Amino acid sequence: MTDPIVATDLVKVYSGKVRAVDGVSFSVHEGEMFGFLGPNGAGKTTTVQMLTGNLRLTGGSASVADLDVVRRSHDVKQRIGLVFQESTADPDLTGRENLELAAALFGVPLRTTRSTIDSLLERMQIGDAADRLVKTYSGGMRRRLELAVGIIHSPRVLFLDEPTLGLDPQGRAGFWRYVLELRKDRGMTVFVTTHYLDEADTYCDRIAIIDHGKVVATGTPSELKDRLGGDVVTVRLSNGGGAAVETVLQGLPGVASVTKFEDAYRVKVPKGEELIPRLVEACDRSGIRLAGVSLKRPSLDEVFLEFTGREYREDEGMTATDRAVRIGQVQQAFGRARR
Amino acid sequence: MIRELAALTRRELLRLARNPQAIITSLLLPILYLILFGQAFNIGAFFAGQPGGQTALLLALRGAPTYFSYFSAGMTGFVAVTATLFIGANVIFDRLFGILKRTAASPATPTAIFGSRLIAGMVQPVGLAFLVIGLAVLLGHLGLSGLKVTAPFSLLGTAEVVLAVVIISAMFASLFLAIGFSIEQPQSYFAAVNAINLPVLLTSAALYPWGTMPAWFRDVASYNPVTLAVNVLRENLFQGASAYYPYGPGIYLLGLLAWALVMFVVATLLAGRALAPRD
Ligand SMILES: Nc1ncnc2c1ncn2[C@@H]1O[C@H](COP(=O)(O)OP(=O)(O)OP(=O)(O)O)[C@@H](O)[C@H]1O
Ligand SMILES: [Mg+2]
Repeated sequence: MTDPIVATDLVKVYSGKVRAVDGVSFSVHEGEMFGFLGPNGAGKTTTVQMLTGNLRLTGGSASVADLDVVRRSHDVKQRIGLVFQESTADPDLTGRENLELAAALFGVPLRTTRSTIDSLLERMQIGDAADRLVKTYSGGMRRRLELAVGIIHSPRVLFLDEPTLGLDPQGRAGFWRYVLELRKDRGMTVFVTTHYLDEADTYCDRIAIIDHGKVVATGTPSELKDRLGGDVVTVRLSNGGGAAVETVLQGLPGVASVTKFEDAYRVKVPKGEELIPRLVEACDRSGIRLAGVSLKRPSLDEVFLEFTGREYREDEGMTATDRAVRIGQVQQAFGRARR
Repeated sequence: MIRELAALTRRELLRLARNPQAIITSLLLPILYLILFGQAFNIGAFFAGQPGGQTALLLALRGAPTYFSYFSAGMTGFVAVTATLFIGANVIFDRLFGILKRTAASPATPTAIFGSRLIAGMVQPVGLAFLVIGLAVLLGHLGLSGLKVTAPFSLLGTAEVVLAVVIISAMFASLFLAIGFSIEQPQSYFAAVNAINLPVLLTSAALYPWGTMPAWFRDVASYNPVTLAVNVLRENLFQGASAYYPYGPGIYLLGLLAWALVMFVVATLLAGRALAPRD
């Protein structure tokens, strides 16, 4: 059997101008929790929408659950679950009615519909609110309902587009617990986008980092961190610096590399805490005035910086997150007007 | 397919039931027309007492006994338009709320998605049309001007009236759904709807006495779907009215059906396009 998700040179150009996804290739193995990590506007939602048969491809190809997403988009939709970045539950229906509708649309057998819905409601802890209109739900309840809707037909592959956006840390942890449980029970393959580095690090088996529509690195979180070659000591100077500084830093024992980044130097070294005293001493001797020294264990922040040459950033302009927030505001306004 | 259609229709009906404002506002207009306009606008008064007045009145109203009778039959065609207006707007709000996107991302076929909205969208205009007929008859019994059904009851006639109401509702429901599926902004939707709504009503024979229209106007009005529906009603409600119409109700029903089919096809195409993978 081929991998449940295979993307080959995916390209998406919106309105002939915006190159949102620019030649993305990756594959996700059976049963894997695959994280798609990138800042706002990186092209995560665009990729998800192409893989789920909802958005036309400008170029490339993809297969999901053994089906070509372009030619078999209808059947792809049947085999997958999708939780959108924005809330899409019907506010005028109750939680249960939302699930009943989804069960009918995704062809959950009539015999098991009721028990499936009951057990999902209980598992997602919305049983008490099951017969309340969704417009009275809190953000966390809505997210859990969306997840329930997404998995009602036990899909082989589940796509989650920033599922924890707008949740507090507790809500986020809770949501991930449900997803992990589900994956364990059903052996689902999960493709999840996030711009929270810590989430990708903690919960994903493998991640791809996407930036400006391109995948810049793929691997397990520890592989990616290992590629950094240890800790990173960042040195800030009070007086510019110069070529001499780099020579001094390079000369310290164990230093793997020194790169200048804005007005600071990033020094890679296996054991950062041992380097710092010597570094301070050496700079003192060479008359280099330090403004600050900091030590970072390898984290995905560092990985991102390493592969893109930039700090983990949030792009400007109207991103999908902004749109989600905007839509939320509109919905709230309508909700208020309706009540 | 049947299950999808049923589930989606249920959703539309639940939502309709939970937002009664839409029903109440669409009730208001025909009621005001019946108890104010219909009562005050009494064409019969001009003909009364004049030699040959009654004949002239019958000619002007194509066999309807009173202007109110003539006009209240017209109102049933009128409400098919006004009570379907909002269903295209619902499509736009559903798009704004992400609900349309979610439905399009499910395996539901565009036919089921469109069909459910069409079916649910017809409930209100059809109900309202018969309410208007009932209310118009009732007003006559309360000492006001009312609808006088002078034709004897016939099964075929009743069936034709019901069909006319159903088909005209389906036609306008399709039209407004077509607009709703192809426009993104609520403001543009209401602008488009207003641009269609009034001209359609004002070029129909729903309100004007046929006999007072200039010949060119009649030519235009003859093809108007509202006129076609209203003709079916008037021929069946008023004794002897058929003498004033060149064709029987069956022909008008066919014409109406042709309109409805065209709208239906256009609307399904536009809905299919709106629900296909986005660009
Ligand atoms: N319909 C559209 N038309 C034009 N440009 C678009 C459209 N949708 C997205 N874009 C642009 O494509 C780029 C990628 O957007 P996308 O929504 O895929 O990013 P994302 O990684 O999901 O971001 P976020 O974290 O904000 O959700 C952005 O520059 C965005 O502005
Ligand atoms: Mg996104």
